[in-house]
Amino acid sequence: MDFKFSEKEEKLRKEIREFAKEELPPGWLSSMLEEESDDENWAFAMSMSKKLAEKGWLTMSWPEEYGGKGGSLWEQLVYSEEASYWGIPGVTMGIGGVDWVGPSLMMFGTAEQKNKYLPLIASGEPDGIWCTAYSEPNAGSDFAKIRTRAVREGDEYVINGQKIWTSAAHRARWCWIAVKTDPDAAKPHNGISVFVVDMKSKGITVRPLMNYVGLHIFNEVFFDDLRVPAANLVGKENNGWYQLMHSLGYERGSIAGRCYGYNKRILDELIVYTRGNGLFREREIRHKLADIAVELETQKVLGYETIWKMSKGDSPVYEPSRDKVFNDHILERLAMLGTEILGGYSQIDPLSRNCKWTKLNGHMEKLFWLFLGFAFAAGTDEVELNIVGQFGLKLPKSY
Amino acid sequence: MDFDFSEDQVMIIDSARKFLEKECPKDKVRELKEDEKGYDPELWSRMAEMGWMGLILPEEYEGTGMDFFDLTILMEEMGRNILPAPFFDTVALCSLPILEYGTSEQKKRFLPKIACGEEIWTLALTEPSAGYEPSGVELRATSLQEDYVLEGTKLFVPYANVADRLLVVARTSQEGITVLIVDAGSQGIKTEVIPTTAHDKQCEVVFDKVRVPKDNVLGEVDKGWEIVEFLLQRVSVLKCAEMLGGAQFVLEMANSYAKERVQFDKPIGSFQAIQHKLAEVFINVEGLRRLVYEAAWNISTGSPSRLLTSMVKAKANEVYQQTCIQGVKVHGAIGFTEELDLSLYFLRTKASEFMLGDTGFHRERIAVELEDYQPLFMSV
Repeated sequence: MDFKFSEKEEKLRKEIREFAKEELPPGWLSSMLEEESDDENWAFAMSMSKKLAEKGWLTMSWPEEYGGKGGSLWEQLVYSEEASYWGIPGVTMGIGGVDWVGPSLMMFGTAEQKNKYLPLIASGEPDGIWCTAYSEPNAGSDFAKIRTRAVREGDEYVINGQKIWTSAAHRARWCWIAVKTDPDAAKPHNGISVFVVDMKSKGITVRPLMNYVGLHIFNEVFFDDLRVPAANLVGKENNGWYQLMHSLGYERGSIAGRCYGYNKRILDELIVYTRGNGLFREREIRHKLADIAVELETQKVLGYETIWKMSKGDSPVYEPSRDKVFNDHILERLAMLGTEILGGYSQIDPLSRNCKWTKLNGHMEKLFWLFLGFAFAAGTDEVELNIVGQFGLKLPKSY
Repeated sequence: MDFDFSEDQVMIIDSARKFLEKECPKDKVRELKEDEKGYDPELWSRMAEMGWMGLILPEEYEGTGMDFFDLTILMEEMGRNILPAPFFDTVALCSLPILEYGTSEQKKRFLPKIACGEEIWTLALTEPSAGYEPSGVELRATSLQEDYVLEGTKLFVPYANVADRLLVVARTSQEGITVLIVDAGSQGIKTEVIPTTAHDKQCEVVFDKVRVPKDNVLGEVDKGWEIVEFLLQRVSVLKCAEMLGGAQFVLEMANSYAKERVQFDKPIGSFQAIQHKLAEVFINVEGLRRLVYEAAWNISTGSPSRLLTSMVKAKANEVYQQTCIQGVKVHGAIGFTEELDLSLYFLRTKASEFMLGDTGFHRERIAVELEDYQPLFMSV
């Protein structure tokens, strides 16, 4: 048993803190999901991606041959924790670029695909930005029932259909898409394939979907006779489901640390704020803060356990779902408490930049109005609990 | 960072689990619930033969010199099997403070007896007036020549009915609290078992002009609260480990039941209402496990954290209780009966929660730490 980070990991932590102090404006904190929404945030995020790439941190755990730093999962964790605590934007290269597109290509891509896309992601340039298109209007949690079709015609596939909740589609240079290649497969899972789509191709329409506070995070994406070279098929035809499941492990390596870092920062902000205005002296408030502090510590060590299992070469099955559910509970509590602490000020529009009454740079309002988005993203809590029950407790399938 | 157990630790866990399942099955637990002593002296000596009482005491005191983490995982097994014995009281609440604060003479005199299972000890701290705040200590120790004279009442003293000695936390001056080693057979001590729901032998101990030699002061006169803080900041993690073991077992019971119990032609565990309930409990038990290990490891390696220990106790209190409540719900009406083993665990949760600080107490301690702490982003 050893709960200590190595010297190398601690040194990295210090370097990232120095970087954050130098590169970010005073008091900076970016909210997740926010960066792709407006042009100014996006430009800043891209400028940071570039700098992170120069440091080699952007693709921390990727092997060096693909433009990564060859860092360990623990270094990746340290980087994720610190990057989110300080709110360094631009760490993901759109949706999935760093977290799963790159790692999936390493596992299943052709040499050509690897040589083309991996350096682009690792460079931190806008040409390395991805969006991920899985969900469809009629296939959310029941993802295997997607209907967007890809039909082979000579050296091409022709794609028709619609995706929804496609975050960052309006910023992405590439789309990582799951489609049906065999609608008649006995099990719907066996008819899915993954493709790389150039977002500049003819036949793609991106329509913004605004969330209820007016942030432009996700989109609907329509595909009308989109022609994709057959060389853009990733892995084997009809093997998409298994590829996605397999690559999920990589995505998961960064998520636990990222969530903890962000939550810790929000808690720290609330502690400082309530100490400043005297609310901390109210027993009810300080006890709620104390309770959340306990949950954050728990979240931290649970995430470490997931990374530890991965670092031993185990492929975590239910642990990332467990961590996701736990994080959603924490976000909800933080959002409720944060806005309770702000009181009347929590009514101010988080997008208004110049309101003199905005408290804590609008972070609590942003969290409050965004936390439900996280609860749906990458699997609803209910779906995650199914996974925890089925694989963690070995209970019968419940759906 | 590495969460693997060492070979020795795996051995502790395996041997403890086998031993307890064999030597202390649930009908024995039930039997001891109605027993006057509340523990089985024969089982107690076999535990001593296993080396458990002296697990972390140095060899010079007949111990085996293992570390705090090793004791933590042993406690987890005891909680899992709900061992009814004054182990936590003797070893955790008493031998550890003696090892930390005792004079070399006290250590030589008392620790080998504990290690060999010859003596049962307990802590007399809480009173009718309070739980774990120093202001609640009203039992007076008045100096009289070579002795102190104790006058007052201690409440919820575990296993005082069978203890050979007690550590008594007494007021020696207006601001001063002193811990005294008291022979349980001293004249003027009257012990009565309190009828707790769990029948777990918690006692009222009345001290009527009890004389204690001044040599029996543990630590320094008037500075005894330090020893209580030692218990609150470190030893409470061992109680949390015991609670973790209990919660884990209750979860396993409920989980097996959900797989076996068929309604509407299906195992009830296949219904999301049941499955999600269990999944949430599971998540919390797993979280508690890592927290307990983190705190125990910190203590083992010499960097205990007041904040972390309070976090662990607050979490353990909540998780153990919730696990039992949800466990009963999954079982339905059978969960409400005496017959189900779950009840043995559930009934003990109140004692565990109260021991070394309830949730509100630790929440406040966490808040006190947060009030002074310097958040990282402020360091810029």
